[in-house]
Amino acid sequence: MEVLLSLLGSFKTNLIIFFGTIIAAVPLGLLITFCSMSKFKPLSYISKTFVWIIRGTPLMLQLFVVLYGPGILFDIPMQNRLLAAFIAFIINYAAYFSEIYRGGIESIPKGQYEAGQVLGLTKVQIFTRIVLMQVVKHIVPPMGNEIITLVKDTSLARIIGVAEIIQGAQVFTKQGLIWPLFSTGLFFLAMCGLLTLLFNWLEKKMNYYHA
Amino acid sequence: MKIKKLFALSAAAIMTVTALAGCGNKKPDLAYIQDKGTMVIGYTIMEPLNYTDKSGEFVGFETEFATAVCEKLGVKPEFQLIDWDSKESELSSKTIDCVWNGLTITDERKANMSITNPYLDNRQVLVVKKDNVEKYTASLDGASIVVEAESAGDELAKSDSRFANATVTAVDAQATALMDVKAGTSDVAVIDYVMAVGSIHEGSDYADLEFIDLDFPAEQYGVAFRKGSNVTEEVNKIMDEMRADGTLEQIAEKYDLIDILIK
Repeated sequence: MEVLLSLLGSFKTNLIIFFGTIIAAVPLGLLITFCSMSKFKPLSYISKTFVWIIRGTPLMLQLFVVLYGPGILFDIPMQNRLLAAFIAFIINYAAYFSEIYRGGIESIPKGQYEAGQVLGLTKVQIFTRIVLMQVVKHIVPPMGNEIITLVKDTSLARIIGVAEIIQGAQVFTKQGLIWPLFSTGLFFLAMCGLLTLLFNWLEKKMNYYHA
Repeated sequence: MKIKKLFALSAAAIMTVTALAGCGNKKPDLAYIQDKGTMVIGYTIMEPLNYTDKSGEFVGFETEFATAVCEKLGVKPEFQLIDWDSKESELSSKTIDCVWNGLTITDERKANMSITNPYLDNRQVLVVKKDNVEKYTASLDGASIVVEAESAGDELAKSDSRFANATVTAVDAQATALMDVKAGTSDVAVIDYVMAVGSIHEGSDYADLEFIDLDFPAEQYGVAFRKGSNVTEEVNKIMDEMRADGTLEQIAEKYDLIDILIK
């Protein structure tokens, strides 16, 4: 019991990373989508290159770069490990989210934009009143997938010394107690179960919008 | 595609330039640490060196030793759990100031870090299931060996002829190596004597394991600071004082390490 409580304490760190990343990466991803889809070519190229680099390198490597990079390159040591984890996770997930958003936006037929124009709506009105809610409906399943992956990815933060649940469990392993390490799976399962229910509910709610 | 490559190339170029520019012009390490008032000590959990006891207090031979030295340096110790593989990166990026955690002194490490005089004599032992003690005491041919990556056990398994006909796998920690043997994934773990004494005992989940001491050459523990650091000499001086006035001996006695303390 004491062990489980201690694990729960460590799992709080995973949850902090999880919610912090969601809160920041969801809007940041949208910003990257707009840059990638921009008609201004240099901006779109920079944005696409950025997404390519972030999606093309392991998150583990990105964690190392954020924690050790500033100290080694500029002699400004990164003092806060949790902050380093946030930066790496937010950037990484924003890049993935941005591609999901782009897919959602591009799935809306051109005809709808044209219809909006015929009705005399402005570009912004077309996006917020016609496109956006359909996009939201389209992206719920892939976003759910990505967000569930994030729950489990938070355990990667231990490689830069953030005291998350797997690291918390390994403390017990080193004392000769093995089961806590395997019981950490229950925490992840519970969290992913809750999220699955949440996304099922969201999908049902969105049924109203027929695309 | 071409433009993407161009971007990647220029990004690489910028990083190289900044890396070169970053060198030089740093203040001495001792002044750096004393100015900020804390010494960040990198460690991994290892009984009896750095661990949390039953009452929840962070203790251990290294913990008390480091705390005593910090006191004499006039700084506050701050213990930071690290990933053992990353110790060099942690030191050079200044996310920690030293590694004080039963670090075996090797030539390779001396080339990359600034290491103090030795204070403990350690050696590698083999950990096997109780049933296998005789078999592997006789020969290691055909055995699957597990070691902690980059550890002294890893070095030994690579260089000692007794391991020539065995397969060696490296994992992330000595504790993982123990679990490997318990789970039967590997036959033999090569770990520190100190670690074996600390984790294999009645009442632990490893009670079905036993260690074999083949008298491999002794290794010595030192404290590692950043390469070129001047804190090392200062700590050497303090260590001599602590040997002279008996404080170091007292700490070693407390954790049953008096036999391997270098006097």
